[in-house]
Amino acid sequence: MHLIEAIRGAFALLFSGDAALWQIIWVSVKTSTVALLIATPVAILIGYSIAAHKFRGKRIVIWLTQASLSLPTVMIGLLLYLLLSRQGPLGSLQWLFTQSGVVFGQALIATPVLVAFTLAAVQAADVRIAETAITLGASRWRTMFTVLHEVRFGVMAAIINGFGRVIAEVGSAIMVGGNIEGQTRTITAAIALETSKGEFAQGIALGIVLLAIALIINALLMVLQGDVQSATGA
Amino acid sequence: MTALLVVQGLRKRFGARLLFDIETLTIDAGSAYVLTGSNGVGKSTILRILAGLEAADAAGLTFLGQPLGLSPYPKTLRQSVAYVHQHPVMFSTTVVKNIGYGLVARKVPAPEIARRVEAAMEWAGVTHLAARHPQHLSGGEKQRVALARAKVLEPKLLLLDEPTSNLDGFAREQVIGLIPDMTHAGSSVIMACHDKDLIGMPGAHRMKLRDGRLQMREA
Repeated sequence: MHLIEAIRGAFALLFSGDAALWQIIWVSVKTSTVALLIATPVAILIGYSIAAHKFRGKRIVIWLTQASLSLPTVMIGLLLYLLLSRQGPLGSLQWLFTQSGVVFGQALIATPVLVAFTLAAVQAADVRIAETAITLGASRWRTMFTVLHEVRFGVMAAIINGFGRVIAEVGSAIMVGGNIEGQTRTITAAIALETSKGEFAQGIALGIVLLAIALIINALLMVLQGDVQSATGA
Repeated sequence: MTALLVVQGLRKRFGARLLFDIETLTIDAGSAYVLTGSNGVGKSTILRILAGLEAADAAGLTFLGQPLGLSPYPKTLRQSVAYVHQHPVMFSTTVVKNIGYGLVARKVPAPEIARRVEAAMEWAGVTHLAARHPQHLSGGEKQRVALARAKVLEPKLLLLDEPTSNLDGFAREQVIGLIPDMTHAGSSVIMACHDKDLIGMPGAHRMKLRDGRLQMREA
């Protein structure tokens, strides 16, 4: 009965247009989207470069990239806290307990996911795609965009996973953001806080929103992916 | 006959193993060459080297009398040499965009691209497939699109790796019928193949790769 009451309370809260609740949702969506927009181009370029080039130590780079997927977000939060604190090397930025700091942390969290998935997608691509582009006179950049277009299903999977990881992470957001209401309180940080206070309705309401966001974002990205069957080169 | 390409001392090694050591490879302008040899002897590798897809050692290389190196692959060769894989890969876009890809990459003006692509599609008999996506094409249609995609660039040298290996019947005859047109248009063509009809093609010079050496036979 307690759970049903909490769920009923959650829906009542969602439909009441509670300003504090929607502020939390807005902060989460905004920071995650900005972090992804910053991390995606860089990470895709890194992932493609690792996959498409032969160089000494490539296997070590791949190993480290894949290992970084297991890095706890709270560790990244701790590292960033030390870097961004007043006496840290990046203290002059004054990003600690700000949305910029949260975005920074989320971009760092998303990057290994994006790199590893892009790397895997490009490595699995038919080598004739790049060879055909090269022999037809494509520049390095055009060849890269051609290959990425052919493996767009894998690249979109990278972005979906990257978004999932940053919107669902809690460790870095709390440590770097400080869980400040209206400023840096994200959905996951708010769920942790409300649950600790016994405010289950708001926690569940935010959980429902998180789930809805995940469904909407994945649906949008799947639409952008286009025809999966045509994304591997005929 | 004017020499289009002369490569001297062309060697390819895989580790300690010497795949071939060719004293001189001479390709005349506007001529067809058939490259034969057993499987694994290095026929495809020669084509890939000439296409700039594989590294090799060469003592000297001249293209239309101009001395060039082989590594890094010269821009002159990149603009003059086209290569078609044994099983050509198509980009996941329409046939018309596949054929125009190289022209777009070379920044050819749009009206000229449209004109040349249309002519190439007509030549290859694929005009009716213009708006189709390649995953819906047969093997023969893909091969003809690949030939059109290479021919549209008006290459001085066209490298075809087993152009009929995955085709039979009418599709194979169609592809074989397209090859003499390319030499008539001024391109030199080198085909690595086992196909008897290609080997016996009138006017084609025959080259045989055997025990790492290249034997030339007159047309």
